[in-house]
Amino acid sequence: MPSHKFVSTNRRQFLRATGVAFALPLLGAAAEAPPRRFLGICNNLGLLGEHFFPAPGAAPTSSPYLQHLAPFQNDITTFANVWLPDVDGSHNSEVCFLTGAPHPSNGGFRNTISLDQYLAEHIGVETRFPSLTLGVNVMKSPRSLSWTGSGVMIPCEDSAAQLYRRLFLQGSAAEIERQIERLRLGQSIMDSVAGEAQYLSRNLASPDRARLDQYMTGVRELERRLVLAQAWEKKPKPAAPAPEPKDPGDPRFYMQKVRLMYDMARLAFATDSTRLITLFLDSVNSPAIEVEGTPITDGYHNLSHHGKNPSKLTQLAAIDHWHMKLLAELLGNLKSAQLLDHTIVLYGSNFGDANKHTTNDLPAILAGGGFRHGKHLTMPGERNYPLSNLYLSILHRFGIEAKAFSSAQSTFTGLELSGS
Amino acid sequence: MSFPRTLAWCFSGLLGFAAEAPPPLPPAPVSSFLAQNCVPCHQGAKAPLGLDFKQLTFDLSHPETLSRWTRIHDAVEKGSMPPRPLAADARQVFLRNLAAPVANFTATRARTQGRSILRRLNRYEYENTLRDLLGAPWLQLKDSLPEDGIAHRFNKSGEALDISHVQMARYLDTAEQALRDVFAAQQHPPSIRRYYARDQRRFHNRMRYSPFNTAPERAMIPIYGFEAQRDVLSDSVPISIAPYNAALRELEGFATPAGTFNGNDYSWDEFRAPVGGRYKIRLNAFSLWLGTVEGPFNNPNRKPWWRPSRQHTEKGRTNEPLSLYALQPGGEKRYLTTIDLSPEPTVHEVEVDLVAGDSITPDAARLVRTRPGWLGSPHASKEGMPGVAYRWMEVEGPAPPPSPLLLPKRKEQLRPTLAAFLARALRRPYTPAELDHSLSIAAQKSDLREATIAAYTSVLCSPAFLYLEEKPGPLDAYALAARLSYFLSNSAPDATLRALAANGQILQPATLRTQAARLLAQPQSQQFFNAFLDYWLDLRKLNDNTPDVILYPDYYIDDLLTESAEKQTRAYFAHLVTHNRPARELVQSNYTFLNFHLANHYKLPAVPGSALRQVELPPGNPRGGLLAQASILKLTANGTTTSPVLRGAWIMERILGQPAPPPPPGVGSVEPDTRGATTIREQLDKHRNNPGCASCHRHIDPPGFALESFDVLGGERTHYRSTEEGSPVWGIGKNGHEFTFKQGKPVDASGEFQGQPFANLAEFQSLLARQDRVLARNLVRQFLTYATGAPPAFHERAEVERILDAAQPSGYGVRTLLLEVVQSKLFLEK
Repeated sequence: MPSHKFVSTNRRQFLRATGVAFALPLLGAAAEAPPRRFLGICNNLGLLGEHFFPAPGAAPTSSPYLQHLAPFQNDITTFANVWLPDVDGSHNSEVCFLTGAPHPSNGGFRNTISLDQYLAEHIGVETRFPSLTLGVNVMKSPRSLSWTGSGVMIPCEDSAAQLYRRLFLQGSAAEIERQIERLRLGQSIMDSVAGEAQYLSRNLASPDRARLDQYMTGVRELERRLVLAQAWEKKPKPAAPAPEPKDPGDPRFYMQKVRLMYDMARLAFATDSTRLITLFLDSVNSPAIEVEGTPITDGYHNLSHHGKNPSKLTQLAAIDHWHMKLLAELLGNLKSAQLLDHTIVLYGSNFGDANKHTTNDLPAILAGGGFRHGKHLTMPGERNYPLSNLYLSILHRFGIEAKAFSSAQSTFTGLELSGS
Repeated sequence: MSFPRTLAWCFSGLLGFAAEAPPPLPPAPVSSFLAQNCVPCHQGAKAPLGLDFKQLTFDLSHPETLSRWTRIHDAVEKGSMPPRPLAADARQVFLRNLAAPVANFTATRARTQGRSILRRLNRYEYENTLRDLLGAPWLQLKDSLPEDGIAHRFNKSGEALDISHVQMARYLDTAEQALRDVFAAQQHPPSIRRYYARDQRRFHNRMRYSPFNTAPERAMIPIYGFEAQRDVLSDSVPISIAPYNAALRELEGFATPAGTFNGNDYSWDEFRAPVGGRYKIRLNAFSLWLGTVEGPFNNPNRKPWWRPSRQHTEKGRTNEPLSLYALQPGGEKRYLTTIDLSPEPTVHEVEVDLVAGDSITPDAARLVRTRPGWLGSPHASKEGMPGVAYRWMEVEGPAPPPSPLLLPKRKEQLRPTLAAFLARALRRPYTPAELDHSLSIAAQKSDLREATIAAYTSVLCSPAFLYLEEKPGPLDAYALAARLSYFLSNSAPDATLRALAANGQILQPATLRTQAARLLAQPQSQQFFNAFLDYWLDLRKLNDNTPDVILYPDYYIDDLLTESAEKQTRAYFAHLVTHNRPARELVQSNYTFLNFHLANHYKLPAVPGSALRQVELPPGNPRGGLLAQASILKLTANGTTTSPVLRGAWIMERILGQPAPPPPPGVGSVEPDTRGATTIREQLDKHRNNPGCASCHRHIDPPGFALESFDVLGGERTHYRSTEEGSPVWGIGKNGHEFTFKQGKPVDASGEFQGQPFANLAEFQSLLARQDRVLARNLVRQFLTYATGAPPAFHERAEVERILDAAQPSGYGVRTLLLEVVQSKLFLEK
């Protein structure tokens, strides 16, 4: 059955001033070269640094954690001594992982556009879903890795089953017709309220008019998305490449959920349903989770404040090892589906040390996607090096020759693009 | 950047190459004062507080610059800056010359644009407004909308209340879904049905052991009357006598020694609310006493402990609180209420709001909640252990709505129905165009009900519904009624206010005051208190941290404690308003609100039951006021440790209205070490020898020192708990685990606050209570920000003092402050 929503939050991006939205020239058109893709993953409790970071100059898979990625030694790059400049502010830093907006805990903080949404504004039009914003255990929390250009959050999809249905389930002809009718009604409502906003904005003081302009932009953008959604509704969805997953409802099954979301990300890429995905692993919001082989006695967040307690450290390490095993699984699956060479996977955290809430010395792994990998880049200097420079490198890899993004003014030193 | 937009202008005079207009400069007397007294220290990359006068313009339209100059003014006015003595009247000349342009700027802005910026409803207001408008108090809509932005600590300011296509899509979905749910509920006939415990799959599954559970602590015991039914337990007779004797089944039940929580949860699974609505729930339940035997049973690795035998039960010996939760199909729980079970089987009736699909989960909130590796219940002994028993639950409902939402029956009724809806939804008269718009939306649907839903949805997505329309200058009657109502009820104006707006009477000061008083006396004022406290004190974040399992096993997973703590703070604040208590009672009083659990937690004389009641405190006890409430002490900790710095900064900002400057960039925080080798105060003392740190921390830390006697959940402590060093403490936690923490080093809660020494929290409270005008000023500022979306601007400081003067005879009564705020110029103008 089609979704009961008027429109999914991630429908087609705003088509900039083209006026050709209705024609959808690219709708499902077979691409000549394999398309580039991006998957950004943030684990908001990070990884224990002493087990994560390879020694300077060593291979990127030489640490206890990274040895799980040994089969992909030439497909990954790891980093040390990096941070997102001025992204401080404790837990709030998680919303800046892909935006790099400074000082998220300051009064009046406004987030900025995230890497995936920036990319979506350029390439989102080419797929049914311009981007997908996914999460594990983020239910009910106002947090996400994806932020629009106006600094507004895009909430996370937390259910693999619902995501599967959005991606693959085809409604009957009558259901499709009903859904189109719904979308059309939503479109008329947007059109009607936009007219009212125009009327109300007469004689307003300029800050007030700016507020109503924002409303009007939101309305017009939704309207366009509803139009595009109708076009996509008429086009058949890709055949489901796997059976529908079942959500492990309980947040304790965190690892299982992570694995499911990794699978869903791969399926979404493989069917070219989208080329941009963020996945927010909300470890902070997770209870005592189930981990194969190790009894976990306390909530994940509490464990992270280990206060150097050996039992907590042991449990955290067990959890971290599983994170790396699952990431290895994902990379393996992407590789065997011949997706890895054109799919950039970024795995990292907003915390260098979650115990102390420090936001420097971040752990980060870059895999696949057309870079010269195989190195552990220990950045020189007393102060950390901007990880945001990596984001600019990623934009360039997508062929978007931006001069700056977030706090980055240059691409990442020592990271080169590869031929593919 | 083409040139430095800085104060350096007034020293350099290099004007030649500027392509842009030069940045505005402060008045000459200000510049020369700064050059003489401030610039020598405040310049360069290492300028104190990051305040570098060579980089600071006088462009007041930039909010951060305006706030900087305001703080500079205040620091000089207070005398805390400059640190060296000044020539006579230099200070006054400086202040006069700085205050004039700043006040002029904010006054001009207020006159031309209004004090605040146009804003939409926030999630709280949206939910309350739809509940009132659709006559459906049970609607749960807040979480369908994206989280609201925050400015000045509240979700009430236009600059932070954004709208995007995502938000619009949610409005479209949420409004339509709410309308469908309400119409479905209205058409659903009420019914009464009884659900027997014996018939609930999730109850009798727990009677039999399974691969997932072989522990009696997590199992159900079938009982008849008060006695365990061994034959039912062994499955030698049917699970219920009901098919043979309907009368005898009334005495059948299930008993359990454990609370309900993740991993050991059960619910009345036969019941799912068919539609949203207000339901009556009657629960036949009581407390029971369970026999115990000592033993590890089938696990030789376990230490022996007293465990439920399941063979013997008898009449209860305790009263047991039972919390009820709505269990949603996705597994999320919503707290409903708590009742008290006594040893006598009793039918407890409560009224609850449910949404379609909700089931009911009971939780014997005081009892053990076993987590893997547990030893046993802390309440178990040779004598037995407490438990609870359920016989049945009866559900009646949904109650018919007091004022049903209109649905036209014939096509001709569509126009008047929509007109009536618009008139209520829009808070001001609708325009003919607005009615036409909704009619044209309705025209797209042939089915009358669908047409109505479509048209109502369009109204609920329209800017006139979502935005609070205000024009610069004095508010008109409709805008004033809306502001008053969203302030004191957090919802749209009710029928009375709409009428007083329509005839303009709300503009009369006397009427306005009467109406404000009326709203405060209504039950809906709770919506104001809740929303206000959620942001002012961050009460909405109460569950963002959880007590550490090793250090605080006695609080860990104790939901009743956090729920009670939240209720305490809400009840206390409501009392301050309702009884017009003086502002100093924010920090000191001889009473508070307690139930049995809080009284126990605070080591105060016993209070019966789980409902909160006003209790007089023993003389000198510091639990009066907000500071020693468990909620505040939890919010300002992280579950594992407490930091005087964080707590101190919190009190300075939230209670005294004197926020600490942000920490300099690149300086890490001092983290308490839970191993017990050093205390946080020892660590901070080192840090305070550094004059750079000390200049701020001597203001920030002392209020936090006063709270050092209270742990992460507000329990009183004389020693820190540690994971390694110190003497062992024995006990069993709520999770059934033996304590492993140690009693560490002693706590020192003394300090010096603004030159006055204090030995403990009680003495610190007395110091604070003397500053009642400061407390009241902060409260007024919070009220004004919450009510109007903008904090008082520089030129409005005199009006704030006037409010304070007016409230002074009442000892700054909190209700008087509220009423004076409503009458103030700041409230009456956009």
